[in-house]
Amino acid sequence: MANNAVSLYLDPQIRDWVLFPITLVMILVGVLRHYVMVLLQSTPKKLPRNALREQRALARSQVLRATAAYSPLPPSFFHAMTESLSEAFAAGTYLKDGPPKEGEAPAGPANPLTDPSAMEGMMGGMKTQMVMMVPQMVIMGWINFFFQGFVLIKLPFPLTLGFKSMLQRGIETPDMDVRWVSSLSWYFLNFFGLNGLYRLLLGNDNSADSSKDAANSPFASLNAAPTGPADYNKLFKSEIDNLEFSNAVYTWLGSDVEDRVLKRYNRLPQTTKAR
Amino acid sequence: MSSSAEASAQLIYPQNVLANASLLNVKFISACFAGAAAGILGLSNLSGFALFLAATLLTSACIWGVNCKGKPGKYVHGGIGELVNPGQDNAFTFVLVWTLFYAIVHVYD
Repeated sequence: MANNAVSLYLDPQIRDWVLFPITLVMILVGVLRHYVMVLLQSTPKKLPRNALREQRALARSQVLRATAAYSPLPPSFFHAMTESLSEAFAAGTYLKDGPPKEGEAPAGPANPLTDPSAMEGMMGGMKTQMVMMVPQMVIMGWINFFFQGFVLIKLPFPLTLGFKSMLQRGIETPDMDVRWVSSLSWYFLNFFGLNGLYRLLLGNDNSADSSKDAANSPFASLNAAPTGPADYNKLFKSEIDNLEFSNAVYTWLGSDVEDRVLKRYNRLPQTTKAR
Repeated sequence: MSSSAEASAQLIYPQNVLANASLLNVKFISACFAGAAAGILGLSNLSGFALFLAATLLTSACIWGVNCKGKPGKYVHGGIGELVNPGQDNAFTFVLVWTLFYAIVHVYD
């Protein structure tokens, strides 16, 4: 079979009118998608001071606990902060609605269906999903409609026969090498290959990245549902216990720093004073 | 001196880590040029991928020597593994640019 030696000759106008336009359109649509996402993102709702204060109190105690093992804070600071936080949590001074009155049970968490702020969060996620999907569908339809039925490009690497049906759609030749492909496969090559260019043009966190689409869609819907709005009263109570645990693991980074410095410069006195 | 993984993870300064992430851009540009070279030279199959590998190693050697001064562990979190690894994005970019230049130079008249 002399098939491998014969190569097809393609009209240069295909290159000018199909190859470059598809790439250009995909780059521009990606940039457009990113800016549409930036414009669509509603500004996060500004929390009132009390709500912010209770979130910040929780964050403060979490940071304290996270860095407790090799803490940069000297013992007096650390113990003072943990004690004041524990007292405040126990008394409920940081709660959004103030400390519970005598004899009154503190209010439970707000129902997500009736609480308007939680609904907006869910809606925002769904909006982003729609914006991501629509341009991809439109471009695929455009390519299938206009650029169908001819060979566009020869891949420099070989592929198995299984890819023939996908990459040579519209060209009914059973014998042609799989390396000659139609425009849809050029679309796929661009789809995967332009992510690096988007990262260069739009910065790291861009919304035109197709490699991040897979991460966003399934996990966002799975993670958002179970947590629900937080019940800060219960969280505060559990933080009191956690702060006690962190007290046990706490060590200060500079606890024996004098000995360490002396040892590094070989000036540590060999004998310790008799106590 | 605390030498456990947790302690050293705590001592990392995020702004510096972010500044060092400009390495990604260097890798991307080198992948683009490697793709262009492979396409213009008309390499196909394994020789093209071999050029990509060689380009990756050359780029990593330059970064290792010039930027990291021989100690990648100090500048990049994953050490030499993360330095050499081009990442999925850059591999696809290489294939795209390689295909593009191969087509322009060798397939079209």
